Amino acid sequence: MTPHSEDRVPNIFHHAVRSAGAITIFIALVIMVASAIDKGPYIVVNTIVTGGMWALMAMGLALVFGVMNVPSFAHGEFFMIGSLVSFYVVTTLNEYLLRTSVPLLPVIIPLMGMFAACVAGCIAGALCEIMVFRPLRRRSQEQWVMNTFLLTLGLSIIMINGHQLVFGTEFKGIVSYWDFPSVEILGTYISFDRLFVFVLSVIAMICFWSFMKFSRSGQAIRAVSQDEAGALMVGINLDSIQMLTLCVSCGLAALAGASLLFMYPSYPSVGLGPLYNSWFIVILAGLGNVAGAAVGAFIVALFQILTTVYIGEGWGFVIPSALIILVLTFKPSGIFGSVVRGIHDK
Amino acid sequence: MLLHLENLDSGYGFLQVLWDVSLSIETGEYVALLGPNGAGKSTTLKTIAGLLVPFKGEILFKGEIVSGLRGNEICRKGISYISEDTNLFTGMTVRENLFLGAYTIPNKKQVKEILEVVFHLFPRLKEREKQIAGTMSGGERKMLAIARGLMSSPSLLLVDEPSLGLAPIVTADVFQALDTLRRSGVTLLLVEQNVKKALRVTNRGYVLEKGKVVMEGTNESFERNEHFRKVFLGV
Repeated sequence: MTPHSEDRVPNIFHHAVRSAGAITIFIALVIMVASAIDKGPYIVVNTIVTGGMWALMAMGLALVFGVMNVPSFAHGEFFMIGSLVSFYVVTTLNEYLLRTSVPLLPVIIPLMGMFAACVAGCIAGALCEIMVFRPLRRRSQEQWVMNTFLLTLGLSIIMINGHQLVFGTEFKGIVSYWDFPSVEILGTYISFDRLFVFVLSVIAMICFWSFMKFSRSGQAIRAVSQDEAGALMVGINLDSIQMLTLCVSCGLAALAGASLLFMYPSYPSVGLGPLYNSWFIVILAGLGNVAGAAVGAFIVALFQILTTVYIGEGWGFVIPSALIILVLTFKPSGIFGSVVRGIHDK
Repeated sequence: MLLHLENLDSGYGFLQVLWDVSLSIETGEYVALLGPNGAGKSTTLKTIAGLLVPFKGEILFKGEIVSGLRGNEICRKGISYISEDTNLFTGMTVRENLFLGAYTIPNKKQVKEILEVVFHLFPRLKEREKQIAGTMSGGERKMLAIARGLMSSPSLLLVDEPSLGLAPIVTADVFQALDTLRRSGVTLLLVEQNVKKALRVTNRGYVLEKGKVVMEGTNESFERNEHFRKVFLGV
């Protein structure tokens, strides 16, 4: 090892410690510990459980922005599709269960619902790419970000009203997926469903991360987000990668919708709350920064829970919004920095 | 004939840059594309590489019409384009960049073999295998861009301004690498601002001015030409 490379390591270390991201994470941890001592450890548990699901949504949103330069405002509607599909699959299968009794089926039905929702989300994403984004990309690349922003807003309105037209406005929800007793962690009782949601989000994040890091397609997705022309030059088919990106991110959003069905019953505009949350996270973390979005999700979840505990439920969206205004004013690239290149070229 | 451009018109959107450009390259040749700023050298390479769609005319590669194909399909045909600003995946390691260079080759064993050859050509990249591409110096990035272009084992390499923004000593390294490639049998089309340097390394060339081919021939014939000497060599 040369002396040069020896002194480079502490430099990078110092730089990382002083960066805005590390400082924010540190402050968030301190706040979390302080509030946990003040109000009880359930704050930590709640942060981790809700943060996991917001991370799935926000990672998908960041990915779509990084790879396709689409600021998606229809992302919440894939959450809605997920919850809707899961609701119908689970209730239909449960009715079937009343007539016959198959052992183990009650345990498996929720998993089937979530899987079906995930698949439906992927298909819906693929349809959006084929019917909306691809024709637009072929026609014109000018003002791409603005055009796709308006386009996704339109998609969102169509999907919300489509839901209302076909399935009605009533809440389509379930009390819980499983009838298992609550689990006690750090003196807090959490329902088995919530615990499962957390485990599922961790598994989904690990799968997603390994897919992006090790698989050929995942690497191609990262390549496209880092340099589109470069990706074209090494022989990557942009069309299929963009399609895959939308499939993956919409599948993740639908999975989040399905697994949170017991908290958010399916109704036409159920996706708006999660959509705003994911946008808070993505802006906080830096547009297009997927890893940052995963961390940012927990920070935003913490802030929302603290607001609810200390100030009141109604302020749940106010404090994060104020935070976003501060971030946009003082560090517009987000606390973890943006990795999107060439966003202004389009 | 490996590559042949036939009366090519090309440009960006409504702006036409190339007018009626014809050129051809045989297998194993090292050809220079010379010309002043804004003559359309880079546009020619981008059009061959499929990043721009020609307005008119044809591009033949190995006797097959490839004009109008997209960049990724051109790459699969065996043309590698190394752009001026390298277009590296700056957030990935050197190794990941190189593996993505071989994206078109599904056979893992074959990719490993090519990687060995490339590391032999650029030993410095082997030392920096784990480094993030965006943290490397300009010269190393150029090297990596060339190495990545080689990973698809192309039969034709288009190199755009390899000396741009590099210190003279690093430029020498880059040209050394290109020369090694030529001797190992790769066909090269080189665009270069540094005319003297380009004339020293290549065998043959084309001169573009205002989007048209105004001269073609061997390097000796250029050096004898009055107009060429006045415009490009300043004598």
